[in-house]
Amino acid sequence: MLSRDEARNLVDRIFKMSKSPEMSANLWWQQECNTRFANNQITTAGFTSDLRLNISVTLGHKTGSTSTTEASDDGLSRAVQHAEELAALTPEDPEYVVPLGPQDYPEIAAFDEATAGARSVQLLPALRSSIEAAAREKLNASAFFDVNTTAAAIANKRGLFGYTQRTWADYSVTARTGDGTGSGWAESQSPRLGEVDSARVNSVAVRKALDSQKPQHLEPGKYTVILEPAALDEMLMFMAYGMDARAAEEGRSFLSKRGGGTLLGEKIFGENITLRSDPFDPVVPGWPWSGELPSERTTWVEKGVVKTMMRSRYWAEKTHTKPVPFPSNMIMEGGSPTLDELIASTPRGLLVTHFWYIRFLQPDTVQLTGLTRDGLFYIEEGKIKHPVNNFRFNQSVVEMLKQVEGMTAPMPVNNNRLPAIRVRDFNMSSLSDAI
Amino acid sequence: MSISRREFLESCAIGAAAVGAAGVPSSLGAALRGGKGALAPGGSPGGGEGGTPDPVFRPLTDVALETARSLGASYADIRVARYRDQSAFLRTQAEPGGTKIQHVPEVSDRESFGFGVRVLVNGTWGFAAGNKVERDEVARITREAVNVAKTNSALMREPVELAPATPAVDLYRTPFTKDPFAVSLGEKVDFLRTINDEVMKTPKVFMAMSYISCRFEHKWFASTEGSYIEQYIQRVDPGYGATAVDRAQRKTRDRSFQIGAVTGGWEYIEAAQMLESARRVGEECVERLSAPPVKPGKQDLVLLPSHLCLTIHESMAHSTELDRALGYEANFAGTSFLTPDKLGKFRVGSDLVNIVGDRILPQGLSTCGYDDDGVKTLRFDIFKKGIFVDYQTIRDQAHLIGEKASHACSYADSYASIPFQRIPNVWLKPAEKAVSLDDLIGGVEEGVLIDGTGSWSIDQQRYNFQFGGDAFWEIKGGKKGQMIDRVAYQSRTPDFWQACDGIADQRFWQNFGLTGDGKGQPMQTNEMSHGSVPARFRQINVLLTE
Repeated sequence: MLSRDEARNLVDRIFKMSKSPEMSANLWWQQECNTRFANNQITTAGFTSDLRLNISVTLGHKTGSTSTTEASDDGLSRAVQHAEELAALTPEDPEYVVPLGPQDYPEIAAFDEATAGARSVQLLPALRSSIEAAAREKLNASAFFDVNTTAAAIANKRGLFGYTQRTWADYSVTARTGDGTGSGWAESQSPRLGEVDSARVNSVAVRKALDSQKPQHLEPGKYTVILEPAALDEMLMFMAYGMDARAAEEGRSFLSKRGGGTLLGEKIFGENITLRSDPFDPVVPGWPWSGELPSERTTWVEKGVVKTMMRSRYWAEKTHTKPVPFPSNMIMEGGSPTLDELIASTPRGLLVTHFWYIRFLQPDTVQLTGLTRDGLFYIEEGKIKHPVNNFRFNQSVVEMLKQVEGMTAPMPVNNNRLPAIRVRDFNMSSLSDAI
Repeated sequence: MSISRREFLESCAIGAAAVGAAGVPSSLGAALRGGKGALAPGGSPGGGEGGTPDPVFRPLTDVALETARSLGASYADIRVARYRDQSAFLRTQAEPGGTKIQHVPEVSDRESFGFGVRVLVNGTWGFAAGNKVERDEVARITREAVNVAKTNSALMREPVELAPATPAVDLYRTPFTKDPFAVSLGEKVDFLRTINDEVMKTPKVFMAMSYISCRFEHKWFASTEGSYIEQYIQRVDPGYGATAVDRAQRKTRDRSFQIGAVTGGWEYIEAAQMLESARRVGEECVERLSAPPVKPGKQDLVLLPSHLCLTIHESMAHSTELDRALGYEANFAGTSFLTPDKLGKFRVGSDLVNIVGDRILPQGLSTCGYDDDGVKTLRFDIFKKGIFVDYQTIRDQAHLIGEKASHACSYADSYASIPFQRIPNVWLKPAEKAVSLDDLIGGVEEGVLIDGTGSWSIDQQRYNFQFGGDAFWEIKGGKKGQMIDRVAYQSRTPDFWQACDGIADQRFWQNFGLTGDGKGQPMQTNEMSHGSVPARFRQINVLLTE
């Protein structure tokens, strides 16, 4: 582990190697322990430890960046010297911004000692129980258990310094029927290995595999759909992390207004849509910094109205306003019903477990395409009736967030907390034979 | 002012002489940095096959192999690798709030150096990797790899079986004539500036972005079977694009110069006609901004190699990966509709469709001497006359479909990544009889001609795909017509390839290198080339995007 003192020491050594008054460094140490299995048997597994030292030297308004994995004097001095040479060769950056001085980065609780010490043997019980649970139902299970420990530091020659340690554990299982007509998936993640709920992952993946087998035919069309949090996450991220002020003000974003200007302050989503970022969230902790800026709580959308856009330091200077740091998590406010209650109040619709291969189809409108995967179910009169074939969808996220008519409480998914939502008129555009 | 390649090497040597407390023996670091030949071919054609690997790493790799053996490994290998990734990027647009054109550069030159050890103990794989390339650390990391294998062998059902590989002591270098790192970053940025200036000459182009990246991989592979292989792999990747904005309509369109990446040197960039094409790219970007929408419905498509590369990749290359077909990727990248029972008999394409896997293809992005299992690379058939005849394989899979040898498709994207089966260069053979692009277009009453890649998406079993493109023209009465826009097409792999009724001949064959292909957990990226000729597909479902 790269400790705070070791990070400081490395930074001091790096900064002493150049006379340039403007230098910055980003240090990144990572240890990863993971195991993968497929067809109810472990396939590959690894334990890796790596160090990346990213170094930038600025001469005037010219910046050169290098990185090295070698913390020896030799490795560091080569990287520093090369950064100096690059800076000399590079043209001036007209968008150069003077680096920040010392910052108060928030302390964020995202590290767990037990998780940082994990090795293959700690992952084995969950893997064994998944394989056994699948075998009992004559299913083929595949899974990935990944435990990451990261220590990172940011520093510059003006005295800015930040250090953070983080852990993250992630377990996902896909269970498939022997005849390949049913597939179920579930995932659980946490900064703390002990909080990864492998029992829930197993039971959900197995149940969905059994329930989704032999799907019935359904034609493409517009349907009311319930997106589980994982499905919403996969779509929403194409929009939520793209709320950049510069792109909007330059006319290149879904937040640009026809004829000029932006949609800031305008209601473009339904009344029930509120989207925030909170680096201090205990369940999905964010990063202490973003670029050089301290991370902060931000409300992006409130009751359907666009409240804030991400704004780089350069663009903030140019537009005479304050920078808004790029976020490291997204939290969408939800409602009170449980997923079962949301299903129970649905006269007719589809339940989407998650999606696959989402890409922009038309960035102007955040129109996306992608496919349903690992369990698509038909709901009638508040009950899950039967599985149906998978679909490809072609759907704008912006339009979708005008059509939300019900939500559960937010649940953790990746680095975000999002509800399951029920949406009208979701465009399932073509059949997918894949299971 | 510019740094020459020689000066850079000297600075490395000076650095290496001053080895500090971390104790990296200078010869080791310098060997992988400076390496004979690879970084300084001095203008003479270099590369190809054969030669003797530098023994400098042997004592270190032996530590891993001996340690693994002594702890009960039946097989072990170690890869020591240094990567250098240099990137020059330039964005050009008018100064915000003004009219003065300004260039915003971003340059970096990054190195990483480390090793990964793979062991087979009790029939189970173990892997571990580290970034301190020194004796004690190699021994410690090897013990970690053995621990992983021993722990996980508790859940083993069938022991790993490796297809035989002939032990090799060999040296491989990517052929190239001009070292791309010898061209200074300053010169590279200057070149990008001339391109961007030319793109910006078309009024209404809002922004131009261009890049040149060069990647150098120097790796050593040693195994307990007696292989000792040194490889220098050199890639270059140039490209640029224009963006036009219509504020009144809130519309943004791009047009790109997509030539693709190759294994090779600066000579590829010199021959690429980047500057010569820049005016056209800017003009077509603006033309696209006001191009009329496509009329959706069933239409004939003529697809250029710049576009077809991605369709081949997603539908024909991914579906024939054996690990997917066997379910190894079920939890992420997915499985395949081409299950082993279809091998040798299932028709995917028309008789015209002949596709090969190939890691010896000149300039191919996945071309090298040996794969990361230490198997000598080769070319093999995947589809013959439309019939699915073979999979992409690696050593630990071949026996699962009754094959005796690996197809050398093993690749790890870093020293810290586990090698596994990845797509090699996969390319479409040209027609044997003379067929031109005009012949293909001439046979279309109403259709769309597509250049370049845009949006893409395909399901996890590789049936249902939907593609956009970078530029579209209508075809009417056998002639290429005006530019149109908002085009995507959607089909199903076997339907689409069986609808192929015309492909052009060898004169029209072009290779396109793709980067950033993701697969595996943890995810690794892969790079490969997909060569093809213009091809015609009848009555495909064309969509109008929003």
